[in-house]
Amino acid sequence: MSSITVRDLSLRDIKLGPQLAALREAYFRAVPEICTERPLLITKFSREAGLFGRDRISVLDKGRLYRKILENRFPVIEHTKAHQRTPSGLEEFVFDGSSPFAGSTTSKFKGVPLYPEFMALSLWPELWTMTRRGSNPYYISDEEVRTLNQDVFPYWLKDNIVELARARGDNADRNRIQLLQKFVLFLASKPNCISHTIPDFSRAVNEGLRAVIDDAHGRKTQAATEAQKEFYQAISEVMEGIIAYARRIADAGAAMAESAADPIKKAQLTEIARIYRRVPEYPAESFREGLTTIWVCWTAIHLENANVGLSLGRLDQVLYNLYARDVQAKRLTVDQAVELLGYLWLKIGDHVPMIPSAGEQLFGGSGSNQAITIGGVDAEGRDAVNDLTYVMLRAIELMMLRDPNLNARFHPEVHDDAYLRRLCEANLNTRATPALHNDRAVIEALTASGHTLAQARDYGVIGCVEPGSNGRFYGHSGALLVNLPSALELALFNGRHRHFGMEKLISLETGDPATFSTFEQFRESLKGQMLWLLEQAIALNELLGRIHQCFYPTPILSALFEGPMESGKDLIAGGATLNASGIAIIGLADVADSLNAIETLAFGSGQFTLAQFLDALRKNYEGYDWLLDRIQDPQQTPRFGNDSPQSDGNALWVAKTLHEAVKDKRNYRGGNYRVGYWTMTNHAGFGRLIGATPNGRKAGENFSSGLTPNSGVTPSLTAALQSIAKLPAPFVDNGMAVNLKFTPDDGDAETTLSRFVAYVKGYFDARQDQPSGGMEIQFNVTSHQDFIEAVKDPSQYDKLLVRVSGYTAYFKDLNPRMQKEIIDRTEYCLSTGRAVLYEPFPLPQGGDDGHNA
Amino acid sequence: MATTLKKFALRTFSRVFPEGTRNSLHRRLCKPLAEQFCGKVTDEFLEVLLRGMEASFCLLKGYRENIEGFSGTYVFRTDDGRVGCSAVFSDGSMDVDPKPRAPYEVRVSFKDAPALWRFLLAENQDILDSILANDVDVDGNLNYIYKFGFLARDLQHRLGVA
Repeated sequence: MSSITVRDLSLRDIKLGPQLAALREAYFRAVPEICTERPLLITKFSREAGLFGRDRISVLDKGRLYRKILENRFPVIEHTKAHQRTPSGLEEFVFDGSSPFAGSTTSKFKGVPLYPEFMALSLWPELWTMTRRGSNPYYISDEEVRTLNQDVFPYWLKDNIVELARARGDNADRNRIQLLQKFVLFLASKPNCISHTIPDFSRAVNEGLRAVIDDAHGRKTQAATEAQKEFYQAISEVMEGIIAYARRIADAGAAMAESAADPIKKAQLTEIARIYRRVPEYPAESFREGLTTIWVCWTAIHLENANVGLSLGRLDQVLYNLYARDVQAKRLTVDQAVELLGYLWLKIGDHVPMIPSAGEQLFGGSGSNQAITIGGVDAEGRDAVNDLTYVMLRAIELMMLRDPNLNARFHPEVHDDAYLRRLCEANLNTRATPALHNDRAVIEALTASGHTLAQARDYGVIGCVEPGSNGRFYGHSGALLVNLPSALELALFNGRHRHFGMEKLISLETGDPATFSTFEQFRESLKGQMLWLLEQAIALNELLGRIHQCFYPTPILSALFEGPMESGKDLIAGGATLNASGIAIIGLADVADSLNAIETLAFGSGQFTLAQFLDALRKNYEGYDWLLDRIQDPQQTPRFGNDSPQSDGNALWVAKTLHEAVKDKRNYRGGNYRVGYWTMTNHAGFGRLIGATPNGRKAGENFSSGLTPNSGVTPSLTAALQSIAKLPAPFVDNGMAVNLKFTPDDGDAETTLSRFVAYVKGYFDARQDQPSGGMEIQFNVTSHQDFIEAVKDPSQYDKLLVRVSGYTAYFKDLNPRMQKEIIDRTEYCLSTGRAVLYEPFPLPQGGDDGHNA
Repeated sequence: MATTLKKFALRTFSRVFPEGTRNSLHRRLCKPLAEQFCGKVTDEFLEVLLRGMEASFCLLKGYRENIEGFSGTYVFRTDDGRVGCSAVFSDGSMDVDPKPRAPYEVRVSFKDAPALWRFLLAENQDILDSILANDVDVDGNLNYIYKFGFLARDLQHRLGVA
């Protein structure tokens, strides 16, 4: 059977069935609800097992704990109730929740899972008020407020990762925790989770969890150390727990079938019961069983790992054989496959990350960033695109959900135009997905940072845009988010930072820039501050990593991963085949353009001193309009994104400096550190905390997103893409997000599509200064006017999907600053490749104190 | 600040009198706090808040349940050092000390009374937001502040001014 048998790659004839469409509508109406099931169970069983106040929690302790929780979770067959926003508040509504997939990540239709051992206590102050949040409210009942306040949160006041780190660290560590809690220099995500990885589902699907248990038993008898024996026992415990959970679902489904009057419903429930008795315990024998295995394992993984950046990987590869076998045997039609995936996508989106009210300003609107990867090449470098690739693409297109976050791989030397054309068409149809990744550049980056060629070819996308080998790379790609303009700030003010107050020395004194006589001196000063900033962030990541090793082993994820079973070591102890820690840099374009401005105006022309520049920054450019005009004109001051060696040289210097600073560092799991350029919504959040910068950005304004050039200063699309593509792939081994905005309707649809494809191909093409081509690109294809209308009347645009910087989000859920940032992004006309100019959009109503939704 | 004797009297009162009478006294004692909760913030906000909490723990069993089994020392001070005090919780009771104590679980330095009010109570702003705005500096275990934030808002809820 050939990999591609579908005649129409777009599968245009396949539409949403009425039942799935209705469930999707219910999904959009439902507000997230706080789920107390996990926090209550983990608190209860941790108390019973005496796990509070311990010096260490072993992997076996965790294994037994998670097994108990799995055995005691309520087996949800289908949800029929949720809450929706009404003028008088959040009110319950009912719906038909029939789905081929039972079980759920939380006890709610759209739940907010809480992890009290990590960050859940930050919700404590707003338990009574979260239902009234202006944007992204969470429903919680009075009884659930009492449960969290009395039966859960008090037990975790000190048994919580940051406090454990504070207690175990030295004074320097405690200072770093203080810096972290100021939010302005860097964010570390280990207080919330590690997650950010792709499990290996192939074994669970093809062999079943019983085989994993048998394997663990066998290895335990051969194990050389007690620690290994404990590990293998822990694997057995959690696998038994997952099987028990599936059996309870089967029993509940059978009981519901027994009492169902409607014969169709009875048959549906009986089928659920049959399937859940088989899988995930035994090998999947059909496409639906394969999907069910993945779904049940996925819910279990979330029990153990917070829902941030956990990604599903290359599902079109893992499931293709089951799909093809069913289609060939005429047990499954393409329509049915699309529908099954539609139901699964809704299930995957059945939870949202917990974000406290003001966290909305940093992460607002973000889903769990559950990336799925399609297409690409296989481990031998051959074309891996298959029918299921197109089936998944169609299911994404029809559902248009924030999660899962679809990422498509394209290899310029392997794939044909028809495939790329279909990917671009999906972007036009959905306005924002999938993100496109250039296999040639990604594989080069991964092999340069330690993957073998075969491992690199088998990469999947994690979270937003980060690449890593599928099912074998424990890379915590979002370990650190570094606010690069803070390093610039420290260089400009000799180790001081305006956010902390100028009297306080924060970092190193690298010299008063007003005394510098050359641009090189300034760059050296900036380099010193960048290295200091990375040093602080990495040292804290190491401390938190060691705390994870002592208290948060991950037996469920370890069982579904390449490496831990072979080594007898949990993932957190370094058991994965590949390890790393990832750093995301925020503000590269702003720092590069600031260097361009300083180099040109303070050291190049001789008309202006750096002391005067500092004065302009202190005054937020008040009285310096003439300087602003000069900085913002790319004809007078070079700007990153105009394909000139001078303007792009500083960006390259920054990226090289950062890469070289971390590439030889080893983390607590034995992996390396990697640098990437994706910002989620942090370019808005961090921007709010930083004063005026030399690139003409005023205090509090947004930074540029991802690796995208600053808005409004790159008139030519081709030049912008060429500048970005100049960054060598190995400098960007933790991924990058290039956010482009296209004018959507430019006349004839076919011509528009052809131009779209041409730009992507041009960006991915090899060139002399970057033989691999550009690495990643993602789009917003919504008109300026539509965005403005969406701000005015969010209810009319409640499903408007946008690419933020990596992940997809619903525009209405974004905070006002992010909405403004997206509206102000440079918009290119596809027919001319030139920027369309608009006046900067005013900050939407609600500003910093609320939301307009 | 309420003295030990006052607290004893309030606890005795709460045991002897029916719920309606208790609630009536509670509302009267907490009237200045209710006004501050409604946004009429004065320089005395911290003192009024702590006094209101102290009285509420004595009078309201449900509110007192929030601190059963809970121990912790909070230090509050203004950036300029003009205002400073401690709130000490110990298994169901709360004491206010007009001096900063050490050691503490958490120390909160705030710019002024409105900044502290926003930090603890503003609808669209919470603890993280105040830190972002640099209005408040927290040294120590943030979870204790999260709990204190809940205690303040729970009282607001009970006074019907949330």
